[in-house]
Amino acid sequence: MTTRLPPVDGEWIDRKKSLGFRFEGGDFTGFAGDTPASALWAAGVRTLGRSFKYHRPRGLLSAANHDVNAMVQWGQKLNTRADVEALVDGMVLDAINTQGGVASDRLRILNSLGRFLPVGFYYKAFHRPKALAAFWERVFRRLTGLGRLDFSTPHIRTPKRYDYADVLVVGAGPSGLSAALAAARTGAQVVVVDENARIGGSLVYQRGGAAATLDRLRALEVELRAMPNVSLRPATLAAGWYTDHWVPLIDATRMTKLRARAVVVAGGVFEQPAVFRGNDVPGVMLASAAQRLVYRHAVKPMNTAVALVGNADGYRAVLDLLAAGVTVAAVVDLRPAGEPGPFGGAVRDHGVRVLAGHGVYEAVAEGDRLAAALVCPLDAAGNAVTGKVTRIPCDGLVMSVGWAPAAAMLYQAGTRMRFDPVTQQFVPERLGDGIFAAGRVNGVHDIEARFLDGTRAGLEAARHAGRTVEGPMPVVPAETVAPSHPWPFVSHPSGKDFVDFDEDLQTKDFANAVQEGFDNIELLKRYSTVGMGPSQGKHSNMNAIRILAKLRGMQPGEVGTTTARPFFHPVPLSHLAGRGFHPHRETPFHPRHVALGAKWMQAGIWLRPEYYEVAGESREACIRAEVRAVRSGVGLIDVGTLGKLELRGPDAAKFLERVYVGKFAGLKPGMTRYGVMVDESGVVIDDGVIARLSDEHFYFTTTTTGSATVYRELQRLNAEWNMEIGIVNATGAFAALNLAGPHSRAVLGRLTSVDLTHAAFPYLGLRETEVAGAPVRLMRVGFVGETGYEIHVPAEYALHVWDAIMEAGRAEGIRPFGVEAQRMLRLEKGHIIVGQDTDGLTTPDEAALEWAVKMDKPFFVGQRSLAILKKRGPRQKLVGFALEPGASVVPKECHLVIIDGAIKGRVTSIGFSEALGHHVGLALVAPDITAEGTALPIRVDNAYAAARVVPLPFYDPAGDRQKLPD
Amino acid sequence: MAALRTSPIFTALEAHSPEWGEHAGMRVALRLRDENAAKADTLALTDVSSLVRTGLKGPGAVQWLEGQGVPVPQGFNRWLPLPEGGLVARLARTEFLIEDGWAGGPVVRLAAALRTTVPGVYPVPRQDCAIDICGANAPDLFAETCTVPFALDPLEARIVTLTTMVGVGVTVLRHDVQGRPCWRVWCDGTSGPYLWETLTSIAAEHGGGPMGVRVLHGDISQPVAGTQGGRP
Repeated sequence: MTTRLPPVDGEWIDRKKSLGFRFEGGDFTGFAGDTPASALWAAGVRTLGRSFKYHRPRGLLSAANHDVNAMVQWGQKLNTRADVEALVDGMVLDAINTQGGVASDRLRILNSLGRFLPVGFYYKAFHRPKALAAFWERVFRRLTGLGRLDFSTPHIRTPKRYDYADVLVVGAGPSGLSAALAAARTGAQVVVVDENARIGGSLVYQRGGAAATLDRLRALEVELRAMPNVSLRPATLAAGWYTDHWVPLIDATRMTKLRARAVVVAGGVFEQPAVFRGNDVPGVMLASAAQRLVYRHAVKPMNTAVALVGNADGYRAVLDLLAAGVTVAAVVDLRPAGEPGPFGGAVRDHGVRVLAGHGVYEAVAEGDRLAAALVCPLDAAGNAVTGKVTRIPCDGLVMSVGWAPAAAMLYQAGTRMRFDPVTQQFVPERLGDGIFAAGRVNGVHDIEARFLDGTRAGLEAARHAGRTVEGPMPVVPAETVAPSHPWPFVSHPSGKDFVDFDEDLQTKDFANAVQEGFDNIELLKRYSTVGMGPSQGKHSNMNAIRILAKLRGMQPGEVGTTTARPFFHPVPLSHLAGRGFHPHRETPFHPRHVALGAKWMQAGIWLRPEYYEVAGESREACIRAEVRAVRSGVGLIDVGTLGKLELRGPDAAKFLERVYVGKFAGLKPGMTRYGVMVDESGVVIDDGVIARLSDEHFYFTTTTTGSATVYRELQRLNAEWNMEIGIVNATGAFAALNLAGPHSRAVLGRLTSVDLTHAAFPYLGLRETEVAGAPVRLMRVGFVGETGYEIHVPAEYALHVWDAIMEAGRAEGIRPFGVEAQRMLRLEKGHIIVGQDTDGLTTPDEAALEWAVKMDKPFFVGQRSLAILKKRGPRQKLVGFALEPGASVVPKECHLVIIDGAIKGRVTSIGFSEALGHHVGLALVAPDITAEGTALPIRVDNAYAAARVVPLPFYDPAGDRQKLPD
Repeated sequence: MAALRTSPIFTALEAHSPEWGEHAGMRVALRLRDENAAKADTLALTDVSSLVRTGLKGPGAVQWLEGQGVPVPQGFNRWLPLPEGGLVARLARTEFLIEDGWAGGPVVRLAAALRTTVPGVYPVPRQDCAIDICGANAPDLFAETCTVPFALDPLEARIVTLTTMVGVGVTVLRHDVQGRPCWRVWCDGTSGPYLWETLTSIAAEHGGGPMGVRVLHGDISQPVAGTQGGRP
């Protein structure tokens, strides 16, 4: 049986393209432009899925992307919405959440066990007895769920995109298109999005049996498509609103992050169901769903209909049904006076029976299909007069009793909403800056008024976006008749009158929840789960508010609404995950490290060689060999990740005096000095080497991870102090190497004309010269405890210099060394690493850096705090410790020093010193255990390492390695 | 003498077995073995890091530049072409980037002048990775990688944009080449390999890819002997 209509003007289907697909094992055909639901409905299929909790048969409700009982599994794609997903040839679909298929779902027995599943039963089951919580979890996981996740589904790297608009219009119905046109005529760049496959909104399907709305749509579309400054984007969901009009747009392939100067929300309204027994029987649907079937897909929704209405829209829908050849057995109008407007007259002119002041008492099913509506009068209080029930046979029942605004974006944009008793709808009271509402979401329902309201909103948005708008704004007439019925409920003693179709919540569930004390809308939501299903309350929240208001004797406006968080509609996780950007920086020597077998480690945003792997050697052996090379020969390490700043100007020295704890005014050009930086509270935050190139020119290093922070802080300080200086972050502009070891001088000597003798180039000296023909800054340093030279070279010359040094050092067996070897070498010298051997509270005094602090300066950042802390004494002290040679228990960094059960400190650095033959380390410990020789029991799992405090540095305490003969 | 300078993305280019040339002491990929010249109209990324450049900032920068005969863009974040070739970009109120053209420009002269202390003028060393991104699909690439819509800026406005692209700080300006829409993108050289790799991978999805300098900029150098067919 097919219920496909003859061609309908404006239909979305392409009758020349027939598509085959499977549903629940059966073969079906449809047309391009169909959805699975429309094609199945055309084929006479009425049960499209099973409900979430009671596994009741369900059909089509909204045909508007909210039919969660008609979600299907499409291969690896779960929760495909059959009511809107485009039909694809060869689709193989199955209803979700069934055991044994949709027709004979074994879990349908739950429909008979409703009394054992009261509101909040999830919480109750888990709450008591607690011993059964795990049991219930297994049960619920088995009985519920939305599709089967296939973990072999490939990772889809959905690209993201950024976009911009002067005016973003959300919703392409009459008000949205009018807004777009008005804004575009001012010259604004306009983007119009609509979640539906085509633009037009209700102009497509709310026709009242006439062609006028379609003609209006066509005229609008022609004009808009001719405008180069308008982008029409159907099948695109505006999923939320974020600060500065940042709106994520979701289409089939990606998320576009659009930023607009102004946003017009013209998303319309969601039609709301009436609540009566059996309102979920397949064949009962929203009137707009029936209209969509007719005009989008040319499907006759039913043969004989009963229309339950509470507004003029219902009568218009009846006219559409009549135009599609449906027999309308009766119009059941909840309102005692019926419909006074022209649609009412038109329906009566067709000879349709109108039962004013009536309601549907029950929708009666035969099998899984609607067979009849039981209709009865309503008394003055709206209660069913059950003694006068009339049975009206029908295979379709359409509901048109009211609307709820699609206002999620408005809420997210900070709009204050109020409940308007005239329209029986929440409407904007005060909109956020740059946000405009138009059309039915704004409480404007009359079709001509919606065009006007759209024009007004479009002009206001364009003006907000900086466009010139001349002339007066359109005046939009106020609504005088409620498009929503205030109480679309007819109670039945046997229930099964559904308020929330996602969660199978009935009217009685709300009464019970309120009786149990959950009488606030937010509490009610969480306890009953109303609005928490995949449709997110689009068809249930308004009725829930009405129920709660009635139970508490309040107005809906007093009850309020729940929070509407983005995204307000589910989107594929692949869209959210998308393509990730994970920037990293590479020093110019990176290709050489790769060639040498570097094992990488992350250092902030940088990649650094941890060590260089040698085939057949362990990590430890490689690192020790690198250490050995530096101690006995010559090694080369890339230190280009250090922050590098240039400071120039007449006040440069004065500036450094204020930001470092040491003194630099007296530093001679051509010399360097170690510097420590503390914050206002006196805590060590950075260190480095300060080199003076001339009286007004300094070049200094920071820690690898500190460069950006220090640079920003120095800029901030100078903005405050207004000194005559210029600071440049040259971190990336200079590459840097440390050539270290007893043979380093010999190697370097082959590449430069500088006199490297002690007398000519002393320890801590600085020279600007050339190495292998490239301009460099040479600094004599001793971080690793051997004669060494830091070579700072403009990045573009870096590889040339590296290659030249490696070649020059070939005879000495030069070896590159990595971060781990450097850590061990500096540890042997007792040199700290800020951030590793200090923490967020460590002062220079505590870090054994008191020698670097010059309190006799007039001022430096943190000076006052250090003076205060000095009086209090240190909280902890950094000490060196050593293990006995051959110690069997060896701690790691962060292991604790524990004495008499109390934590007395922690290890900050530790390593095996080949030069000394035992492990050495640094620890931050309590001040009372810093004396040389003090035992430091360090807890290692269930044992203690026996360490003793030893003086620093461990290696070459006299500094003889810096004085090797020329 | 062999080229001493190396582009930050030399290794990435080397993978395309280019025909190498030399410009300003740096090896330049003239033509990539796998390049399709027609993509220059679609989407092409070309390394132009070899162009020499310098920077300066400070309260005396404007006056000093004018004294050196360099035209100063009147608006902030604007640029001007230089009569000698190249361009001057105003990155902030008192900060400038000056880059030579392929045939030369004032950079060497200016850099030399900046070696002596000039009150209120502070040299800014520039070791950028510089990439020309050309073709009709370039705006699509930018739309996926940058939040700022600089591709919408009109060419004649000569706007300089400082923003981030795929998480990397960049400076961008539009300077069409041979009638093709073209944007020059500078970033810190240490971020260059990541930026290049990420952009070229996304560009491939838009019908584009890397390209040597010859298609866009002509014969800026003689090929290095033995590389015409690929690697030397």
